Amino acid sequence: MHELTFFRTWLPVIYLYVAGGIIFSAGMLIIYKSSRPMHKRWFYVLFFGYFYYLGIHTFLTYAALNF
Amino acid sequence: MEQAIQTTPIFWIIIAGYFALILGFGSYFARYNKNTNDFFFSGRRFSWWLITMSIVATGVGSHSFLKYSAKAFEHGFSSTMTYMNDWFFLPFFLFGWLPIVYYTRIRSIPDYFERRFNRNVRILATIAILGYMIGYIAIGFLTMGKTLEPLLGWDLYTIIWVVAIIAGIYITFGGQTAVIFTDLAQGFVLIFAGLLVFILGINFLGGFDIFWNALPPDFKLPLAHFNKPSNFNFVGIFWQDGVAGSVGFLFMNQGLIMRFMATKSVNEGRKAAAFNILFLLPISTVVVSNAGWIGKAISIVTPEKWDASIKLDHVFTQVAALVTTSEVVFAFIIAAVVAALMSTVDTLINAVAAVVINDIYRPIVKDKDDKHYLKAAMYISAGATLLGVVAVTFFDNFPTLYEAHGFFHSTMTPPLVIAIFLGIFWKRYTTLAAVSTFLVGAFLMYLGNKYPAGLIGPFDHGIAMDPDHPYSYIRALYNTGVCLASGVVFSFIFTRKVEVRIEKFTANIVVNAKAHLNNTEQPISIVGRVYYTVVWGFTNMINSFVLNAADDEKLDGITVWTLDKAREMFKGSKPNDVPGEEPIVHWKIEESTESYVRFSHNQMKEMAANVGDLVYISDKRRWLGGLKSVHSVYAEPHDEDGIVYMTPDLIDSGLLVEGKAVRAEKEM
Repeated sequence: MHELTFFRTWLPVIYLYVAGGIIFSAGMLIIYKSSRPMHKRWFYVLFFGYFYYLGIHTFLTYAALNF
Repeated sequence: MEQAIQTTPIFWIIIAGYFALILGFGSYFARYNKNTNDFFFSGRRFSWWLITMSIVATGVGSHSFLKYSAKAFEHGFSSTMTYMNDWFFLPFFLFGWLPIVYYTRIRSIPDYFERRFNRNVRILATIAILGYMIGYIAIGFLTMGKTLEPLLGWDLYTIIWVVAIIAGIYITFGGQTAVIFTDLAQGFVLIFAGLLVFILGINFLGGFDIFWNALPPDFKLPLAHFNKPSNFNFVGIFWQDGVAGSVGFLFMNQGLIMRFMATKSVNEGRKAAAFNILFLLPISTVVVSNAGWIGKAISIVTPEKWDASIKLDHVFTQVAALVTTSEVVFAFIIAAVVAALMSTVDTLINAVAAVVINDIYRPIVKDKDDKHYLKAAMYISAGATLLGVVAVTFFDNFPTLYEAHGFFHSTMTPPLVIAIFLGIFWKRYTTLAAVSTFLVGAFLMYLGNKYPAGLIGPFDHGIAMDPDHPYSYIRALYNTGVCLASGVVFSFIFTRKVEVRIEKFTANIVVNAKAHLNNTEQPISIVGRVYYTVVWGFTNMINSFVLNAADDEKLDGITVWTLDKAREMFKGSKPNDVPGEEPIVHWKIEESTESYVRFSHNQMKEMAANVGDLVYISDKRRWLGGLKSVHSVYAEPHDEDGIVYMTPDLIDSGLLVEGKAVRAEKEM
């Protein structure tokens, strides 16, 4: 078992969503650079998914440390 | 080894019964195969929810109960990491790879490489993809062997041979439609079985509070420690699974690609992928990991009931035996897991057969009937099974299945992943650069494997190097980096202009050398003949790699920058994207040798459809998920509202039932 240092608690969450966010943004930028309601909807769903998972990991980390 | 968990004949009768049930289910749907196209691809007809659920069994089966339960027991809730990091690549998949695969009707990943580059690159990709799939089959067999090892008490390899023979029988029953439907059934069963273990486990412990409070905070964090220990750390697994694994799963898994090819439209495929990652993967991760968490809590709360001497890969079987007080329930859970693994392996064996038949066999043995190719597919399936069993010996050297899988992903996926990725998203990526990605990338990966401290060390983020299995996970970052660097650097060296020059230059040398060899007026010496033969052979090979380098049209529809062309090519004319209604109508047969459907003028207006647009017609009962459906083209309208005239071939291939109404949707 590890001590609850920054390396054990929040650094993985930050690294995941910064490194993952760079990959995700590159994908979104390509879509943007390459008006149909269906495509617009999917564009928003993709953004939703990123923040949905960010929320899940933030909540689970907070819950593990506090409950 | 000794039999660690005692069983009675009832246990094995239930296992055999479950397998027979699944086999029967698969063979029932196998009758929907009419030819090799159906056997491998099952037509594009299914609804998103049906495909989503059938993907669950593939995902849960391959990323199995055993390896996640082992890591969950050791490291806690961070075993969920690998299921919760797939979203980052979804933009590339939903708007890049999925529409390209669907609209260009690519049959396999090597097929994409031929269209994007040329035949030689296809051969390199075929070798790489077959290696990837055979490795996956081996991991499937090893997992099944380890599931049954504590129950049978036999030698691991004896179990694997028996399992391989059963897998061989299993695959011959179905084809793709059978695989989709058995996986659909098993998707539901697996989620039920996994959650049942969790509920029974909580009950065994005496309630959720006891479970939660027994586990230390460190155990409950959703991500692992940043860089230690070397056999399970966040940053290594992010690069191995979140990057190489996610792309491998979404872009390279032939079984998964075949599922998406079976959806009725690109938008249905997008729904299936998004729903799977948003909702089913978080549920799946609890399903496959919870036995490890329950096992840990049992070992803390009631240590006298826990056998501390068991191998990590046997944690799942141990927990299932402990928390299910009834042998019938225990047998059901084990049967569900083993049958799902069988499905995963069979999907892969089916995919290997598809690649070998379509990429190697059909181009060599042409113009045979479907029966011939189906028979050849059976032999290839048997060969793939045999190779999978042989490859098990390599993966059995790792301490746990998880590490074997991690090393495999880190090593096998980067060259293919980078070549596919640059091919789709970078127009300037050239044929010679793709060849370099495979060959130079593989050479640099080999060097990294030989000198890990010097070459992978600088990328290790502070992870300690284990001398027995150096950098199992973070090597994915080095391997992906060197393949990407090879692809980019060689694209700038061998630009398309340079490739055209090389093509002309080598073509001249080939012609010249051939002229010398065929010159009967001035015969050349033996040394001269050898020299010109070598020159001819070598330049011919170089020339074959740069053929058609200047052909701009070959990029139409197969990069993200030309997707509109892909849709146009798919339809054969400009797509009609005006939104319309989906009327319910009754069908009547109209005799014709051509294939078309005719609606009334009013209903054409309702659907905003024009003659020549594509239409999807399905039985109006949505719960069928598209099993009875067909695609066609609108022909000249008539005046009878509520009636669609269809040609006999469409009624036949759509399996439409007389008297049952159908729903019509304009596709584009």
